[in-house]
Amino acid sequence: MAHIHLEDGSFSLFFVLLWWAAAIILVCIAIYLLRSEKKPDRRKITLAAFCTAAAFAIFQVSLPLFGGVHLNLTPLIGILAGPAAGSLVVLIINILSSAIGHGGWGLIGANTLVNIVEVVVGYSCFKLLKSSIPDLFSRAGISTIAGLLCGNLVMILIIVISGVQGVNQSTGQILTGLSIIAAVNMGVAVIEAFITGLIVAYIGKVRPDLLGEGRE
Amino acid sequence: MNKPGEKRGPLIFIGLMLLVIVVSLAAYGATGNMGIEERFTHAVGLQGERGENEGGGWFGLALEGSPLLYAFMLGILLVACYAVYRNFKV
Repeated sequence: MAHIHLEDGSFSLFFVLLWWAAAIILVCIAIYLLRSEKKPDRRKITLAAFCTAAAFAIFQVSLPLFGGVHLNLTPLIGILAGPAAGSLVVLIINILSSAIGHGGWGLIGANTLVNIVEVVVGYSCFKLLKSSIPDLFSRAGISTIAGLLCGNLVMILIIVISGVQGVNQSTGQILTGLSIIAAVNMGVAVIEAFITGLIVAYIGKVRPDLLGEGRE
Repeated sequence: MNKPGEKRGPLIFIGLMLLVIVVSLAAYGATGNMGIEERFTHAVGLQGERGENEGGGWFGLALEGSPLLYAFMLGILLVACYAVYRNFKV
């Protein structure tokens, strides 16, 4: 659930453009990978559409936990839609979120990078752990925690590299403050891991083909 | 008979959850009750302002951003999902 909750103007123009450029490059790679498939996977397109709607809906809802936090379901997007389609999904969600006033336009690039990391790590862990952890619920949960942990680390890295305009704090102080935010965020990651585990376990029971698992 | 590694996953997951909960509660205790926006501005040293949705909402749940635009965008996404579902027949 990592998301940079800073307003436009927090990063200098150089870093706004830099993170936008990096996000656009990754999205272009995702589009290239999707277009290089000989036959478009209809199930994946449909799942990506549903993931976009569900994640957008839940992303804007602030939960009364730890003073107010939100879920974003990015590892679930990775597990269901895959890393390529998932990268496009998180870009769309970030654009729509900014359009309704949740997050600055200038931070869409940085937030998309953070979310792409969550999607890719969530997907990769889920696939890599397939042989060692056959249980879908716990595998999806562990993948979610791993994805969100990496997303939080990338979020910290982006803010520390960019610096925040108009503040007098040292890098060490900012790093300490952001580490605490990441730690609080991870508490919510547990809830997200539980929800993701339940959803994946249910899909695995009724439609294992959607997970590429095959019936056991 | 249990498959090899069948219990490993739940055990690792429970262990991870407990570890993460302990760390996050300690972090939450160190900072106190703040909204996410407030927590961010405080962490990076910006002048603090209250989180935009604190104190309101429905059973403690609050929407970030404009509720009207949220409903509009969500409506468009749901129509798109229905169209994709009908078209691709998955």
